[in-house]
Amino acid sequence: MSVTDTLLPDTAEPGHARSPVATWAPIAIVAVLLALVPVFVGDSRTWMGLATGMLLFACYATAFNVIFGSTGQLFLCVGALAGVSGYATPILADEFGVPGVVALVVGTALSALLGGLFSWVSVRRSLGVIFTGIVTLTFSLGFHNLLLGQRELTGGETGLRIQVGGDTVLRELVPAYLVFLGLLVGYLVLYRLLQRSSFGWAFSALRDDPVAAELAGVDVARYRIWAGTIGSAMLGLAGGLWAITEGFVSPTTFAFGEVDVETLVILAFGGIGTLLGPVIGSVALTVLDELLRDAGQLRVAIFGAILVALFLGFRSGVGPAVGRLARRVLPTSLTDRFR
Amino acid sequence: MLEVEGLDVGYGPSTVVHGVSFTVAEGEAVAIIGSNGAGKTTTLRAIAGLLQAGAGRVNFDGHDILGEAAHVVSRRGLAYVPAERHLFGGMPVHENLALGAHPDKPDPDRLRQVYDLFPRLEERRNQTARTMSGGEQQMLAVGRALMSRPRLLILDEPTTGLAPKLASEAYAALSTLRGEGLTVLVAEQQVPLALDLADRGYVIEDGRVELDGTSEQLRGNPDVQRAYLGIA
Amino acid sequence: MNPAVIFDGVVDGLQLGLLAVGLTLLYGLGGILNLAHGQIAVLGGITAALLLDAGWGALPAAAMAVVAATAAGLVLDQTIMRPVYRERGEDRILLSLLVTLGVGFVIDGLLVWRYPSEALTLRVGSGSVEVLGITMRVGSLYASAITIVAIGLVIGFLRATRAGRAVRSVIEDEVGAELVGVNPSAVRTLIFGLSGALAGLFAVTQSMTSPVTSSSGVSYTILALIVTVVGGLGSATGALLAGLILGIVNAISAAEIGSYITSIILLAAAALTILVRPSGLLGRTE
Repeated sequence: MSVTDTLLPDTAEPGHARSPVATWAPIAIVAVLLALVPVFVGDSRTWMGLATGMLLFACYATAFNVIFGSTGQLFLCVGALAGVSGYATPILADEFGVPGVVALVVGTALSALLGGLFSWVSVRRSLGVIFTGIVTLTFSLGFHNLLLGQRELTGGETGLRIQVGGDTVLRELVPAYLVFLGLLVGYLVLYRLLQRSSFGWAFSALRDDPVAAELAGVDVARYRIWAGTIGSAMLGLAGGLWAITEGFVSPTTFAFGEVDVETLVILAFGGIGTLLGPVIGSVALTVLDELLRDAGQLRVAIFGAILVALFLGFRSGVGPAVGRLARRVLPTSLTDRFR
Repeated sequence: MLEVEGLDVGYGPSTVVHGVSFTVAEGEAVAIIGSNGAGKTTTLRAIAGLLQAGAGRVNFDGHDILGEAAHVVSRRGLAYVPAERHLFGGMPVHENLALGAHPDKPDPDRLRQVYDLFPRLEERRNQTARTMSGGEQQMLAVGRALMSRPRLLILDEPTTGLAPKLASEAYAALSTLRGEGLTVLVAEQQVPLALDLADRGYVIEDGRVELDGTSEQLRGNPDVQRAYLGIA
Repeated sequence: MNPAVIFDGVVDGLQLGLLAVGLTLLYGLGGILNLAHGQIAVLGGITAALLLDAGWGALPAAAMAVVAATAAGLVLDQTIMRPVYRERGEDRILLSLLVTLGVGFVIDGLLVWRYPSEALTLRVGSGSVEVLGITMRVGSLYASAITIVAIGLVIGFLRATRAGRAVRSVIEDEVGAELVGVNPSAVRTLIFGLSGALAGLFAVTQSMTSPVTSSSGVSYTILALIVTVVGGLGSATGALLAGLILGIVNAISAAEIGSYITSIILLAAAALTILVRPSGLLGRTE
C-alpha cells in the first residue's frame, strides 16, 4: 500500500502551488553542497566521521519533523525508535543469519510498527501532547534498560560489534557518507512531497482554522497515525543503516540524552516544521559539538542552556520561523480557552 | 459607582465590542440585554479583568480598573459571577464559600447571611460543588460572590441552564439582595426577568449599545418588544 | 519474603511520594511539568555535601540543602518560567516541558562537570535496631520519620491553612480563584518554592540511606515523574499513595528479579496508567 493511495487527492491550495524550481531547488542545492564535502576532506577519518554523524542527525531531525513538526505529536523516543532497528538489524543478520538487506527491512518495519502503534494509541485515547510525551519517554527509558539488561543479545553496556556489512564498501569513509547523503536527500524529498500532498494541506488547514478543517472532513486521526508510522520508519531505516556502516552500536548510540535532546536542539535552532531546518540545525550542532569536544560534562550544560534559550527566544519572536510551533500543537487548545 | 466609557474588546485581530459606554449608580440595578453573541459576556469579562481591552476606560469607585488583574479587581469589591460559574468543583459548599470571603479573611456573620438567603446551601454544606444540580450551583456561585461583601455584584446570564421555575427563583433571590441595597449589574437574554429586576437597562447588539432607558421605557419600546419580549 | 525488603520499600516510597508531591502540585497549578525537579534535589544535596566538606555540622548542612533547593525553585519561577506562564493550555505544558528539560541538563551538566565525584552521605547514628522483629537501619528510621513529619506538614498546609486552600482553589479552577481574589501567579511562586524545599528535603533523607551523587538528578526526575503519573497529575494524595506502592514494588522487584527489569516495570506502570486511567490512582474518571 503506498502512502499517496491512502491520502486524499492533492488539493490546489495557492500556498502550495510553488513552481517546480522553487520546490526542488533548495534540496538540490543542499545535495550538491554536501556532496562536495568528501572532495575536500574525504581522506580525513575525523572529518568524515563528523560529517556522516551530521547527516544521521539531519535524518533524525527530518523524521521528527514529520511526526512533531507536521502533526504535533511529541515523540520523546527518537533515539529509541532508531535503536529498535539499530539493534534488530544487526542481531537478525548476525545471530539469525538473515541477509543484511532483509534484516534492515524488518528492522525498519519494526520501528514503523512501534511508532504507528504509539500514534494509534495516542489518537485512540486522545492523549494530549503531555501524555504522548510521557508515554514515549517511558518507552525510551524502558528500551534503554532493556538494552542494558539483555546482555546476551545486545552486549549490554559495552555494546555490540556488528559483522553484517563488515566486508563491504559500506564500512569505508566516503561510501558511508554517501549512503547517508542519499538517505537525507531522499528524506527531504519525501518531506516535501508530504508537505505538498493533501496531508500537508490538511495540517496547514488545521493550523489556520481547526473548526473549518474539521467541517471540511479532515481526518486528523488518520494523518497523525500515518505521520507517526512514516516518521518512525524513517528513524528505523537511519538507525539500521548506521549500525551497518558503523559496525558498532551501544545503548549510548540511541540514548535519550544523546539523540532526542540533540534532535530537539537541531530543530529548535533550524526551525521546527521547515524543510531545511534539520540540515541547518545539524550543521550548527556539529560545529558546536566540535568546539565543545574537550568540555566534557560542560557540553551537557551548554546544550541544556541552548535548548532553554532557543525555546524561550522564539516565543519572544527571535526566530519567527520557529514560532509556528505554537499553533501546530493541538490548535483547539488555544482557541477554546479564549472563546 | 461604575462608569464604562468607549470600551473596545476583541479576541486576536477581531473586535467584538465597539465603544460600549454605560454607568451603574450606587444602589441601582442595571440590566444589559441582548441576544446571544451580542458582546455582553465580552464586555463583562473585560470589566472583571479576565480579558484585555483594546481601548476605553472603566472607573469603579473612583479607580481606573481597566487593565488590572481579575484578582485585584475582585479585592476592590467588584464581584463577578460568570455564566460558567467557575466553582471549585472538587470542594464542598462550605469551602467554596470560605474562599469567596477572600482567602485571608474568614467572615462567619456573612456566611450566616448567605445561608439565610440560600437555605439549600446550608443543607448541602458538605456536598462537593460538582455533584450539585444546576440551580444549586448557581446559588453557590452567587453565594460565593456575596461572601466578599462586594459593593457591586455583576452577573452574567444567571439563568443559564436553569428551568424556568428555577430561573424565577434565582431572580427572586437577586431581588431580595437588591432590597438590601446591593448594587447589581446583570447581563441577560431572558429579558422579562431582567427588566423586572432592574431600574434601567441597556440593549447591546453587535457589540454596540443600541438603546438605553428605564425598564418601563424599554418594556414599552416596540423594537424591544419585538426582539426580546415576544410581542409582535 | 524478607520483611526488611518491604520496609525498605516503604521508606523509599514515602520519600518518592514527597518528591512527587512537588511535581504534581506544580502541574495541577497550571500545566507546569518541571523536568528539572530531580536535579534541583541534587543541587541541594551537593550544596550540603560541599558544606560538610568545609567542616559544617550535619544539621546546618542539611538545612542549607533545603534552602538551596528552595532558592533554585524560586529563581526558576521568577526567571525562566515567566515567558512560559504567558502561554495557555497545551502550549504552556509543552513549553514548560522543553524548557525545564533544558534546565535539568544545565544543572546536571554543571554539577557533574564541576563536582564529578561529590556525593552527599549523611551518617545519622550507626548500625541498626530491631523493631517488631525487623532489623532496621537507623538511617532509614530517621529518613522515614522526617519524611512522615514533612508529609503531615504538607497535608496540613493544604487542608487546614488559608494559603493551602488558596492553592487548592487554583488547582480546582484558576479563573474561579482569580474571581475570589486569589493571585495565581503568587500561588505558583509559593508552590515553586515549596516544591524546591521538598526536593531538597528528599536529597537529605535519601542521603541517610544511600549516597546522593552529582549525577543522580536525572533518575530522581524520572522516578518522580513515574510516581506523579501513576498518582494522577495534580493529585497530592495520589502522589503519596503511588510513591508508597511503587516504592514497595521497586524494593521487592529489585530484590527478587533484578534491577533492570524493575526499572522497566516502573516505567510500564506509568505508561499503563496513562493508557488505562489517565487521571491516576485516585483521579476522577470523567
